[in-house]
Amino acid sequence: MSAAPETRKPFANLSSLRARIVIFFVALLVLVQGLGAFLVIQANSQIARQTIDQQLEQGERVFRQLLKQNQARLEQGAGILSADFAFRQAIATNDIGTILSVLRNHGARVGADVMTLASLENVVRADTLDNARAGKPFAYPEIINIARAEGKASSVVVRGTSLYQLVVVPVLAPDPIAWVGLAFEVNDGVAKELQQLTGLDVSFASRMGTGNWQLHASTLPVSLRPALLAAFSGSEIEGVRDEIEIAGEDYETRLASLESRPDKRVVAVLQKQLKESLSPFRRISTSFFWLTLAGLAFLVAGSLLIARSITRPVHRLAEAARRVQQGDYARHVDVEHHDEIGQLAVSFNHMLDGIVSREREILRLAYEDGLTALPNRAMFNEQLDQAVRTAKRASAPLAVLLFDMDRFKTINDTLGHPVGDQALREVASRVRHVLRDSDIVARLGGDEFGVLLATGGAEHAPKVVAQKILKALETPLVIDGQPMDITASIGMARFPEHGEDAASLLRAADVAMYEAKRTKSGYSIYDPTHDERRQEFLTLLGELRRAVEAGELVLHYQPKMSLGEGRMTSVEALVRWSHPQRGFIEPSAFSPFAEHTGYSGEITRWVLARAIEQCGAWEKAGLHIRMCVNVSARDLQQEDALVQFLSTALQAAKLPAGMLSLEITESALMEDPRSAQSTLRKLRELGIATSIDDYGTGYSSLAYIKQLAVSELKIDRAFVSGMEADRSNAAIVRSTIELGHNLGLTVVAEGVETDHELAELRRFGCDFAQGFYFARPMPADELEKWLGASRDKAFGIAAEARGEA
Amino acid sequence: MSRLALTLILALALAAPGGAPAASVQAQVRDAARKPVADAVVYAMPATGPSEARSARAAIEQIDREFVPYVSVVQTGTAVSFPNRDTILHHVYSFSPARTFEIKLYTGKSPGEIVFDKPGVVNIGCNIHDWMVGYVLVVSTPYFAKTNADGIAQLRDIPSGTYELRAWHPRQSAAADARSLVLEPFATPTVAFAVDVLPRKARYKPPLDRLKY
Repeated sequence: MSAAPETRKPFANLSSLRARIVIFFVALLVLVQGLGAFLVIQANSQIARQTIDQQLEQGERVFRQLLKQNQARLEQGAGILSADFAFRQAIATNDIGTILSVLRNHGARVGADVMTLASLENVVRADTLDNARAGKPFAYPEIINIARAEGKASSVVVRGTSLYQLVVVPVLAPDPIAWVGLAFEVNDGVAKELQQLTGLDVSFASRMGTGNWQLHASTLPVSLRPALLAAFSGSEIEGVRDEIEIAGEDYETRLASLESRPDKRVVAVLQKQLKESLSPFRRISTSFFWLTLAGLAFLVAGSLLIARSITRPVHRLAEAARRVQQGDYARHVDVEHHDEIGQLAVSFNHMLDGIVSREREILRLAYEDGLTALPNRAMFNEQLDQAVRTAKRASAPLAVLLFDMDRFKTINDTLGHPVGDQALREVASRVRHVLRDSDIVARLGGDEFGVLLATGGAEHAPKVVAQKILKALETPLVIDGQPMDITASIGMARFPEHGEDAASLLRAADVAMYEAKRTKSGYSIYDPTHDERRQEFLTLLGELRRAVEAGELVLHYQPKMSLGEGRMTSVEALVRWSHPQRGFIEPSAFSPFAEHTGYSGEITRWVLARAIEQCGAWEKAGLHIRMCVNVSARDLQQEDALVQFLSTALQAAKLPAGMLSLEITESALMEDPRSAQSTLRKLRELGIATSIDDYGTGYSSLAYIKQLAVSELKIDRAFVSGMEADRSNAAIVRSTIELGHNLGLTVVAEGVETDHELAELRRFGCDFAQGFYFARPMPADELEKWLGASRDKAFGIAAEARGEA
Repeated sequence: MSRLALTLILALALAAPGGAPAASVQAQVRDAARKPVADAVVYAMPATGPSEARSARAAIEQIDREFVPYVSVVQTGTAVSFPNRDTILHHVYSFSPARTFEIKLYTGKSPGEIVFDKPGVVNIGCNIHDWMVGYVLVVSTPYFAKTNADGIAQLRDIPSGTYELRAWHPRQSAAADARSLVLEPFATPTVAFAVDVLPRKARYKPPLDRLKY
């Protein structure tokens, strides 16, 4: 899982939920605060500037008001002065000395710095500052003109380097007789006073024509004044506010024009230091900045906390999901809160439980056979693998058993799958019960089962287990109240002799099972020669297909002796495969597989046709020999086809049906009793005799046999050949003969090889006998020779028999 | 006013030369706007030269804090008294070069007479009441008259002869041109003068009831 390391570091991945939450909130705050700061600063500076502007404006108004008041005061003073009788009297004297002294004296009364007396014709008569001006035109005629019209006039004037507020009033006696000018110097003191009243820095400057600006008075320190002059010499600022930098400090500046004429400009410079005015706003901005910083810190911490409270449970869930992915279902997620994530955790835990139970179910389905509840092939293979590995380490023995039901397909086909399934369940249950718990039984598919014996040991040797299994299956199954015989063939393989791994062990067991089936021995342990035989068989199987067409099959005939007549009365036709390379092959080597491949029907028909043909030929030649042919259970199942085929063949050979006898094995009859019964009846109606072959091996009761339309019993060779060694066999043979006779059947004994056997059979009253004692199966021509050559011997037997009788 | 006028007429009648038959001149004074100008002085200077009055008298009263009359015309040598008809004091003065004088605070009859011995304009004022303005034109001829509200001045009993007729007004912006005039006996010529006169500036005069002095 690639995400696993990321969960530890919250910001390792910027797209993580936590990072996104924090970034979002921080960005939001920065945006909002930034906007706020921008607006506040904007507003602040706007307000500051407005405030300053207002201050300046207000300052200017106050300033102008002060000027006006000052002017009025000066004018008033001047008026009073000019109306002073003594003053007028002195002026009227026309004595310059007197006039100067009265000007000085009275000028001092109102605080005028310079007093000038001018005639009504604007000619200076006396001047307290510079009396040399006497006789010259008054410097400011325009002011006198105003005064003439208004009765008084005032203006700011520049005289030398000084700036004056000049007030001109007439000297009335009572009509004007002269003009007196009172000049009040506008100096630093005046500026200072104005500063105290307006709260602004006040400077006065003037400019004559296009000359340089001159600074006359200021509240600024002397050191800063050149800078001020320089600042507004450069720019032609006019009356409106502006910022001027003086010695590194910004001043909001407003010019109040006092005189504005092309040749003469006098301005009052009103200033407010920006720093000073802005400081309250700076404080607000600073506070805002710290507030923002603190808010940011709180927000980062807060959103981290919130994000953590969201992401931690989510991480825990992710962790849990990862555990589930890795197959660890043991731990549930802790539910800490009952919020949405808590609900998610609860749901997650429920899901976890669901997954656990479903997985258990899936595992069960994957490894268990649904029908029998036994482990299935997959499970068996796995267990076998594991067992093999364990056995390898521990050098312990290990055995595998494979078995399936003999002719189980027939059960399914005839009784239906439900019955077959019930039978399998019963088999599974029985087998399970005879095994130890540590042994494993599995249904591998169909009717095939596997057994894994974990530890061998003497008591639990495979062979013993196999016998136990066979014994368990001996009791007929009862399904739907109907008893059913079932047999199994077991193949066994041992580790490590028969295979080093699971696959080879299974193959070995399979081969052994086939061997057991072939030999009908019930069980078989693997032998390497099985493989060869199997190989051989597989080849033969392929060759068998063309054997019929190629005429490689031949019939051999074994004489069947009538013990009563002492001569051969019939033969049993036995098929032989005359293989081009291998020579003769016994039917036991190929017939079971012929049956498996469905090829037996064809072989049977060939055999029947050939036997009937031969019998017909002999009959024509005067040899009256009855022909016995073996048919299988499968042949009996195709009753109509069989009956049709036989009648056609008999007619073709012009042979009476009585000359043919069909031999059916007891087990074949037991496989499908109903169909067998019906077929036998039809055969008998046709006139064909029927015989039960290998009697004594199929557990069929005589009562059942009685119901069948058979005419003959054939005692299995196992009983006959065992008579000499075991008296009980002789008893079985004897009682069978007796029972057969009681049922009206003739009795045939197979596999007679010794005199003793023949004598015993004769003693028991057996009707027919066949075996090597008389003759081996042989081709037709040989049989004919044998008949001729053995007439004496045959009669000898008969004579012997007769003699004994 | 009528009394003063009577006085002046009497004085003139007395002054008229007995032998020669007299002429009279009617002067019409208008301003630039052709409006009649009152208080203008028209006088005739005889070619024979200036003459000074002997024991002529005139009075300029102070009534309701004003000089009455506003404009006076006297022959040189006339003694003018300044009777105070108000209950408050006045301080009459003049700094005019033609006659500088000062009559300090007084009431009732003026402490003395002022003899105007030099021709010219005497601007008189009151040191206490700045608005009080009066004018005395001192001429060196006995033939003069003041225009009435219609701007007409009647100069009577002027002996025949050659004269220079002049007009003057205290608020004239420029002196009107003098006219030469030869008067035949019994002649009654009419002379028109155009004089630019500035409007009289009203000076602040506090109401009396508020000022109990």
